[in-house]
Formats: sequence, C-alpha cells, structure tokens
Amino acid sequence: MTAHTQDPAPARATGTERVRTARSPRTGRAQRAATRTAWVYLTPTLVVVGAVTVFPVLFSLAMSFSHVNLSYSGFELEGPTLDNYVALFTSARWYSALAFTLFYTVVTVAVELALGTLVALVLERLTAGRGWLMALLLVPWAMITVVSAQLWAFMLNSSYGVVSWFFDLVGLEVVILGEPAPAVAAVMIADIWKTTPFVAIIVLAGLVTIPREQYEAASIDGAGAWHSFWRITLPQLTSTLAIAVLFRTLQSFGVFDLPFVMTGGGPGTATEPLALLGWRVMFQSLNLGAGAAVAVTTGGIVLVICLLALKLFRAQVGEVRR
Amino acid sequence: MTATAVKQSRRRGRRRVFNTVNVSAVAIALITAAPIYWLLVNSITPTGEMGTLPPTFWPADPTLTHYEEAFGQHAFGRYLFNSLLVACLATTTVLGLSLFAGYALARMPVRGKGPIMVFLLMISVFPTIAVVTPLYMIERSLGLLNTHIGLILPYVAFNLPFAVWIMRNYLKDLPYELEESAQIDGASTTRTVWSVILPTVRPGLFAVGVFTFTACLTEFLMAMTFSSEDEMRTVPVGIALFGSEFEVPFGTIFAASVATVLPIAVLALVFRRAVVAGMTAGAVKG
Repeated sequence: MTAHTQDPAPARATGTERVRTARSPRTGRAQRAATRTAWVYLTPTLVVVGAVTVFPVLFSLAMSFSHVNLSYSGFELEGPTLDNYVALFTSARWYSALAFTLFYTVVTVAVELALGTLVALVLERLTAGRGWLMALLLVPWAMITVVSAQLWAFMLNSSYGVVSWFFDLVGLEVVILGEPAPAVAAVMIADIWKTTPFVAIIVLAGLVTIPREQYEAASIDGAGAWHSFWRITLPQLTSTLAIAVLFRTLQSFGVFDLPFVMTGGGPGTATEPLALLGWRVMFQSLNLGAGAAVAVTTGGIVLVICLLALKLFRAQVGEVRR
Repeated sequence: MTATAVKQSRRRGRRRVFNTVNVSAVAIALITAAPIYWLLVNSITPTGEMGTLPPTFWPADPTLTHYEEAFGQHAFGRYLFNSLLVACLATTTVLGLSLFAGYALARMPVRGKGPIMVFLLMISVFPTIAVVTPLYMIERSLGLLNTHIGLILPYVAFNLPFAVWIMRNYLKDLPYELEESAQIDGASTTRTVWSVILPTVRPGLFAVGVFTFTACLTEFLMAMTFSSEDEMRTVPVGIALFGSEFEVPFGTIFAASVATVLPIAVLALVFRRAVVAGMTAGAVKG
C-alpha cells in the first residue's frame, strides 16, 4: 500500500493529473450513472444492516413501552405504558446488575489498558522471539470466550481446581467462585487474561509510529526513561489509546457469555451483568416488555458513552495538535 | 514497573535493558501460556486423574478418550459442522458486500458518506442484547429459528459495519490510475472492481475474512437464542450447555474446545499479519 503511494515517478504523476483534469468536469450523465452504481453497491449492505439491527432496535423500544402478550401463534403489544420502566427502576436486581456492569467495565478496561501498554512496550523492545510472543498472544484472542470461561471455572473450582489448590498451599482459605467479591475478581481476571493481548497489539501498532529520533533527542537533552514515556510516548499514543478504550468499554458493557458460563451470574446475582439480566427476564421469565426495558437502557447507556467518548476524544486530539 | 526497571537499566548500561525486557517477556509468555497448557493437558488426561490433588501436571498415561467421547458419543462433530457452515457462508457474504460497499464509500460520488460511516460505526458497537428479542420474534414468525440462515443473517449484519470500515480504509489509499486505465479500456465499474481492485486489496480482504470468521465461530448469545435445538447448536453453545447441574464433564468439554480452538488459532497464526493489520486498521487510521 505504501509502495503504491510512493511508486509513481513525477513524470507519470503529471501525466495522470492531466487525464484527471481532462475528465474532471464529469458530464452530468456520467456522474449520475456513477452515483447510481454506487447506490447499487451500497444498498445490499444498508438493507441487511438496517433489517437486522435498526428495525429490531426500534422494535425493542416499542416493546419496552408495552405489555407484551405471547401466544402460540404470535404476540401482541398493548400500550403505551411506563410499567416496564417503573418495574426496572424499582428493582434492586437491576441496580445490582448495573453496578456490576459498570464496575466490571471500568476495572477491566483500566487494567487491560495499563497491562496492554506494558506488554506493548516489552514487545517493542524485544529483540529475539518477538514473532513467537506475538503469535502466542493471538491465542487467547482467538479462543472462544465460552471455552476460556469453562477453563477458568475448572481452574478455580473449590474442590479440584489448580488455583484453589495453590491457594490452599499458601494458606489462603477462600471458595473463589462461591463468595461474591472473589467471584467478581475471578470473572474480571478471566477477561483480563483473554483481552490484554488484543490491547497490547493495538498499542504496539501506535508505538511503532513514533519516530525514534524524538527519543534520541530527549535522551541527549538528559530526559530519563520515565520522563520520555510521559512526555513523548503517551501524548502520541492518545488517539490509539482512546479508540482502544472506546471499543473495549462498549464490548465490556455488553458482556454476557463469560459470566453466563463461568458463574451463571452467581453467587446470588454478584456477577450478573445487564445483558444476562435482560436475557433472563426475556427468555426465562418470558417477560418480554421488562426485558426490552433492560435491553433499551443498556443500549442507551452505550450510546451515551459512545457520544461522550467521541467528544472527549476530539477535544483531546485537538489539545495535542495545538 | 517497566519505567523504574528501564531507569535502573540506564544506570547499569545497555546489557541490563535486554535482561529486564527478556524477563518480562518470559513472564508474559508464561502467564499467557499456562491456562492454554492446562486446557491441552486436561483434554488428554483420563477422567480419574483429572480431579486429583495435588494436580497432575502431566498425565501418567495420556489418552484420546475425551476426543472419542466428544465426537463419537456426543454431537460435537455436528456442532462443529454447524459452526463451520455458518461461519464460512457469513464470511463469504461479508467479504462480497463489504468490498462493493467499501468501494462505493471510498471512491464513488455518493452523498451522505459521513452519516453512513457514523451509522455503521454505531451499529458495530451496539450490544447484541438490544436486538436479540425482536430478532427472535421476527425469526419465529418467519420460521427461521433453528436454521442456518437464521444465524447467517444476523452474523452478516453484525460483522458488515466493521468490514466496510476496513475495506474503505484500504480502498481509499489506492492510486486512481488503477481504475482510470481500466475505464479507458472500456471496462464497466463492476468489472473494474472485480478484476482490477480485488487483486490489490487482498490483504484487506484477508483481514476482514479472518476477523469475521473468528467472530462467527465464537459468537454465543444469538447462537444460543436462535438455535436451541440440539441438532442446530454451534460449538460455543454446545460447550456452554454441555453437562448437567451436578456434573460437568470437563474432559469432554476440553477435548471439543481444543478441536475447535486449534483451527482458529492456526488460522490466526498463519495469517498473523492480516489479523494484526485488521486489529489496528480501525485504531491507528481511524
């Protein structure tokens, strides 16, 4: 790709320039034809995405404001009503799920970002075996979440898990998945193990774009490693990190499979995220209206985070540029 | 930690830097590899040796019984077939659609490119839970529950936005001479995209392909909701719902897991560059 952009010799470049200017006031008809073709290319994508995502989101919204009656042949919406939201905002379980989801998101994203940056710094400086380590780091990323959830549940099992055995050895008596706080920590550790490599690889891609000379100049000026990390590396990583944080935050916020398999949301509802609560209300209690209210509020929070992040991100990038 | 370590190393000279970095690298490798090792070992450990304490770090006599159980007695072969079929068809569709949509957005005169891109970005991060119930009800009334199409459609829709973004970023940077010479030869736009553009964006398509394929193989929430019948389960659903409340046959689960994760891992390793390019395309260019 870079080869392409550097490739054309000056003479050829002017040649094409001339061709393009000659054609540049495109005839109206050609322009219209091109636009039409473009829409032919775009339509299938927009239709599929719209039908499978936009329409259902609107449908969720409608359901959340209705009483939904399921019957064998179909369903009926009765409304509008605020009952679902009233039920939601007075439910202790929803607040507990919200608290868990927020806590889980903040902690995993922060830890993954810090550890991911450290791993990226190590990868950047590593001279031998870098390819091997990168390859190894791709395995947790490629691992099915459900598999890693079963694996961690197995390792942390109180009667035969290898981690519990180790805890016993060092005299720690704790039933890891049986008590709320350790269970929450366990789910977060499983996620951190699986996702830190992904963050590391993204950060590494940002790191290698920082020109070497800047570090050399700084070290000539007598700046220490800590100082140059803080003053050179971090500011130039801001946009990379911001995108990584945004993607990870939104993914974490929708977490479902890891706690579903690892803890079943337990003990009690200690590790029950919003998505799991919503799914249970809809498909186990068959209360579709209330479930839709959980889903809609979750989606709403995601949208708000997204918009805030975009705004913050823009402000920060502007600051660095200035 | 690294920072202080690097500071120390500055004091002690260049050699120490390599040591610190290498020690951290080994630690990272060990932490990453240990659970993977445990998965592999327990998939070949006889059930009798699995729960013992202290743990067996290498089985006295390794066995493939768990693999036989998973694929002989239980339906993991069927699950794998479902997973692969759905993932392959969804990936192919995503590749085709994203190539043309990305091309239109990158280099053709379309109004409202900006809003379309933002719309796609929003969709790609929206939580599945927000759409799963309405989709369930729609699929129920169309008779699509427990069919392969019923999974392929949502997988295509959820993976397309990211794919279009990546393809657009690749296509945007191509030189315009490519199409111009083809158009002078009288080729139609579709012909140009197919025979001139397609070969040059292979790395982008690779990245999209590996990404989409992995996402389809690992997706759980929709697979569990839309394909609840045993016959139609995909591997993640099979692995999650296998066993009972009183007994979880971890050996069988791990054997099935290794058999499924192995191809994805190999794929990711072989196409390492494409995967890394795909991961970073959104982050660094965006």
